[in-house]
Amino acid sequence: MKASTLRWLIVIALIALWEALPRFGLIPELFLPALSSTLVAGWNEAAEYRDALGVTLYEVGISMAFACGGGILLGAIVGSLPRPRLLIMPMVSSLYAVPLVILYPVFTVWLGIGSESKIAFAAIYGFLPTMLSTAAGIQTIDPQLLLAARSMGATMSQRLVRVIIPAAIPTVLSGLRVGGALVIVGVVVSEMLISSAGIGYLISRYRTILDSPHVFAGVLLVLAMAIAFNAFIRLLERKAAIWQTGTRGGQIAEEIAPGALQPAT
Amino acid sequence: MQPLANITPLKPAARAGAIQINGVGQVFRTSGAEVVALADVSMDIKPGRFVVLVGPSGCGKSTLLMMLAGLRQPTSGSILINGAPIAEPDPNRVGVVFQEASLFPWLTAEENVEFPLALRGVVKAERRGKAEEMLKLVGLEGFGKRHPHELSGGMKQRVSIARGLVQDPPVLLMDEPFAALDEQTRMTMGDELLRIWAATGKTVVFVTHSLTEAVYLADEVAVMSARPGRIVDHLQVQLARPRTYEMLSGDAFGTLRERIWRHIRKSA
Repeated sequence: MKASTLRWLIVIALIALWEALPRFGLIPELFLPALSSTLVAGWNEAAEYRDALGVTLYEVGISMAFACGGGILLGAIVGSLPRPRLLIMPMVSSLYAVPLVILYPVFTVWLGIGSESKIAFAAIYGFLPTMLSTAAGIQTIDPQLLLAARSMGATMSQRLVRVIIPAAIPTVLSGLRVGGALVIVGVVVSEMLISSAGIGYLISRYRTILDSPHVFAGVLLVLAMAIAFNAFIRLLERKAAIWQTGTRGGQIAEEIAPGALQPAT
Repeated sequence: MQPLANITPLKPAARAGAIQINGVGQVFRTSGAEVVALADVSMDIKPGRFVVLVGPSGCGKSTLLMMLAGLRQPTSGSILINGAPIAEPDPNRVGVVFQEASLFPWLTAEENVEFPLALRGVVKAERRGKAEEMLKLVGLEGFGKRHPHELSGGMKQRVSIARGLVQDPPVLLMDEPFAALDEQTRMTMGDELLRIWAATGKTVVFVTHSLTEAVYLADEVAVMSARPGRIVDHLQVQLARPRTYEMLSGDAFGTLRERIWRHIRKSA
């Protein structure tokens, strides 16, 4: 059986279990409401969920722009200049290990409990991996390629546009995948902690009144958001990874689209 | 009568492909210490010659090639190509073929060959035509749409040669271009290179570690000593062309090979 078929079967089996286990009383509805009751609960409060999704998407969108834009820009600078690299990289790397969520209460003091504090927190949260992998991507460019470009008379800006950027794209994308996912996590978690709007807030509020179907309806929406983001990054990766076979990125690309790649000769 | 100062002497016609290396030296400064990589290298290469540089590792033969390419400036002395100094990379005078892995992996074979032209803003149709012509010259007709990872090691180096020749420079520099290839491919590529060289009439300066490859390909071999690099022998290879596999086991071939080896063993 093909791996992709098997994967779909597993997903279908999980969905079936989600419906069956609570329905036959094997799991109490409080712990896991059946899929159908979750969907009904979500449908009944559709307007509320729609508004919450709007708020969350807005926050995710802005944070994503800051995290990815800033991460790529700063990563490129840090990756290409040796002095900032020596100064900044050790700090950023160790900062990455700190659970930044401990700073979130401080952000609410500075920026209030509205969208601003979520955006600030999620942007910083997603910024670090994007920056780190952009810097790594620029640093690991094969110096032979730059030398070859120079020998053909490429100017500084031509080398940047025609060599450095295309060579760094795969690594930058893998940073975006992690950074973007963390942005979603950052927004939802901060909404759950201290907030008055958004999906995270809804989940948190329904949980306090033990309304499990509504909690899970919110969880489903977050899940859908993460899957959509992942699909988008994969699309980009597939476009960029055509030349990447042999590397890890190439293997991932081959898994996604075996037909899109020609056999190596 | 005109004052003498106003008469500009006629320049000797700078013949395309002539290389003059005049007392070139190269000193590296690494963390305070000075390392003399090359000391007083002089060589006169006539247009259309196939010259091979051999020497022990670290003798500065690649450094010399980088200076010929304009990628590095000599600390002392001067280099003239076509009668003019080479202050920066000039793809109209000099094409360079590096070791493996210098093709841009995100571009197809023909886009790689077009790259130098794209840098100069040559229009697409003209670029494509030129790239096709070059790929045909190196025996890769019909492979233009492939990416480097879809090509074998030998094919990749054919693309590199096509890229080096696409602006029709009179000089082609090659820095151990076949070092990463297996022996059979290497032999085939040697013959292919000689065929391309005969068809284009370029001046070729070729760096290698392989003595057999040196004698097999060259009109003349410059043997360099270990650091500081200098030319210790400059020998003419009088073997007939086209070169054949049988020559490898001949006496003339063996004598030349041995003479080079004696120099290298002495300085290693």
